[in-house]
Amino acid sequence: MFTQQLVNGLTIGGIYALIAVGYTMVYGVIQLINFAHGEIYMLGAFFSVTFIIILGMPFYLAFVLAMVCGAVCGMLLDRIAYKPLRQSPRLACLITAIGMSIFLQNLAMLIWGSRPRPFPSTALPAYFNKTWHFESFSITGFHLFIFSITIIMMVGLNLLIKKTRFGKAMRAVAQNKTMAALAGINVNRVITLTFAVAGAMGAAAGLMVGAYYNSIYPTMGYLAGVKAFAAAVLGGIGSVPGAMLGGIVLGIAEAMGAGYLSSLYRDGISYAVMIIVIIFIPAGFFGVLIKETKKSI
Amino acid sequence: MKGKALRRGLILGLALVFCMTTGVLAADTIRIGVASPFTGDLAAYGDNIKAGVSLKLKEINGAGGINGKKIELVWGDDLCQPKEAGTVASKFANDKSIVAVIGHLCSSATLAGMPIYVRAKMPVISPTSTNPTIGEVGKGWFFRNCYTDDFQGKYLASYVVKDLLGLKRVAIFYENNDYAIGLKDSFTAGAQAAGLAVTGAEAYVAKTTDFTPQLTKLLKDKPDTIFLCGYHPEGALIAGQARKLGFNGPLFGADGLDNIDYIKIGGEAANNTYMTVPFLAAAGGPAAKQFADNFKAETGREVDWMSANAYDCLAILADVIAKAGEDREKIRAGLAAMSSAENGFDGVTGLTYFNEVGDCSKPAFVKKVEGGEFVTAEK
Repeated sequence: MFTQQLVNGLTIGGIYALIAVGYTMVYGVIQLINFAHGEIYMLGAFFSVTFIIILGMPFYLAFVLAMVCGAVCGMLLDRIAYKPLRQSPRLACLITAIGMSIFLQNLAMLIWGSRPRPFPSTALPAYFNKTWHFESFSITGFHLFIFSITIIMMVGLNLLIKKTRFGKAMRAVAQNKTMAALAGINVNRVITLTFAVAGAMGAAAGLMVGAYYNSIYPTMGYLAGVKAFAAAVLGGIGSVPGAMLGGIVLGIAEAMGAGYLSSLYRDGISYAVMIIVIIFIPAGFFGVLIKETKKSI
Repeated sequence: MKGKALRRGLILGLALVFCMTTGVLAADTIRIGVASPFTGDLAAYGDNIKAGVSLKLKEINGAGGINGKKIELVWGDDLCQPKEAGTVASKFANDKSIVAVIGHLCSSATLAGMPIYVRAKMPVISPTSTNPTIGEVGKGWFFRNCYTDDFQGKYLASYVVKDLLGLKRVAIFYENNDYAIGLKDSFTAGAQAAGLAVTGAEAYVAKTTDFTPQLTKLLKDKPDTIFLCGYHPEGALIAGQARKLGFNGPLFGADGLDNIDYIKIGGEAANNTYMTVPFLAAAGGPAAKQFADNFKAETGREVDWMSANAYDCLAILADVIAKAGEDREKIRAGLAAMSSAENGFDGVTGLTYFNEVGDCSKPAFVKKVEGGEFVTAEK
């Protein structure tokens, strides 16, 4: 059972990690908890279903396009909701984020209806349903797909941040916006692109969850968003490797908690893990503790 | 500038409130509240209730209403959440023009609303809340047009698992709410009496999408069948994930699973699922078949038990109001007077009459999913 729970935990943990990275990147550059990020994840799932059912696209194309749409949604979100408030207190942005979250949820409800809908399973590649049985666990092609996509994206994101000019600009903006602007970096463009990258990864996560659990509904982003936020905090908000590790740890803690302790408290277990980590390592696994200044709120 | 905008907003708000309150003043209609989840995850159920009562409403008002007065329905969206149910209940209870309530759909919502209705002396008839304890909380103001889980759980154990499926080892996977816990308890009692072995019981919370940890734990004990004790959105996902984890035996559940979405979401995995339902058009009399046809013509979809029960709820209320008058107290007395088979109401879901706590005894039917469709399950 242990190995199977590990597989279960890694699957959901990888997904949490993908979403958590979106939270943490945005927080890194503008110190905003983007609560509407869960909704981008939900939209990603809906976009892909729409592409597959209405436009008859093959799965991989829909996957890529959903990520593009997620990126566009992320940018629009920033442009419409957050950019006008760039100079306002952080609390105003935070409340706007919550407002956008509620707005997007209800918009999706209006467009696609509130009934949960299945992912068109016929569109999925055949190897997704192939199951390999081992002594103590079984694993499907879909598990492997989620693992590999998660790993590819994480590695890609790391390269993007560490090796490219954009990554360098992003890190500079995260450190000090004014100085970055003085050095000739277009801060607003960096922020917009950060939202785009976060949106694309969120949309990919939404698509994979929708297809894996076979259920897509307008409120699906809420719980996933909260969990991913917990993962981001666990890893140290603002730290990308932290968010990745936080997601995986949270996923495994949840699966093990539900498997060995009480299944009723699986959500509670994940939050308990978060709280315990914050008590003993307040900055999370990789976060840097910054002294709160008066200006920040 | 700011002040002006504020003033404009205020005026607009006041105008809105005024518009809303004036609607209430029209007294030539009989107003009945209908409480269900019309949005949210269980909106599909609310849709069923709406379709059922709307069909009856059309029939009643088309025939001239009750004693010359038209019926008007007031919708209350409780999202199947106890908290929201309390708000809806207060709204209905305080609106003096509402004489009775059809609802709530979910047992936990009904349990939350009932104390408020009792204080306001509002008669409530639920088409779907099956939790056995509601009758006591209702203190004579609650009636239901469906069986209780006491009956349903035992029936599932003694008939569906033991006789129909002929299986012994059952794993229970239940949702953590009043409906599913009541059902699980009565099933467990029934299973004990029927000599079945319950290999494990795990709980989940509504809106979860990942059930693999609990399923892995349940499947470790090699059950013959899994009891999906909850509602269809989660049930369909559990079915899919159980199949992915290599479980190929039959699944079964209660009325909470009965929705076409169970098949739509579950897909292939939904096949070989058995469920008890209070209404099955194919197994009912001519009135039931006529109703099923009308329902299909009106909504374009197959009838389900919730719509049928909701349809009958409004029919019962209309009947009582016509006889007793349009007053909360009198309607309650009228409903309570339907206490035996002779003075019961014969609707599309069969004969309804209430015992002292408002429960009624109705038969259960069993259907199963086969080849992506619901069919009547026969031994």
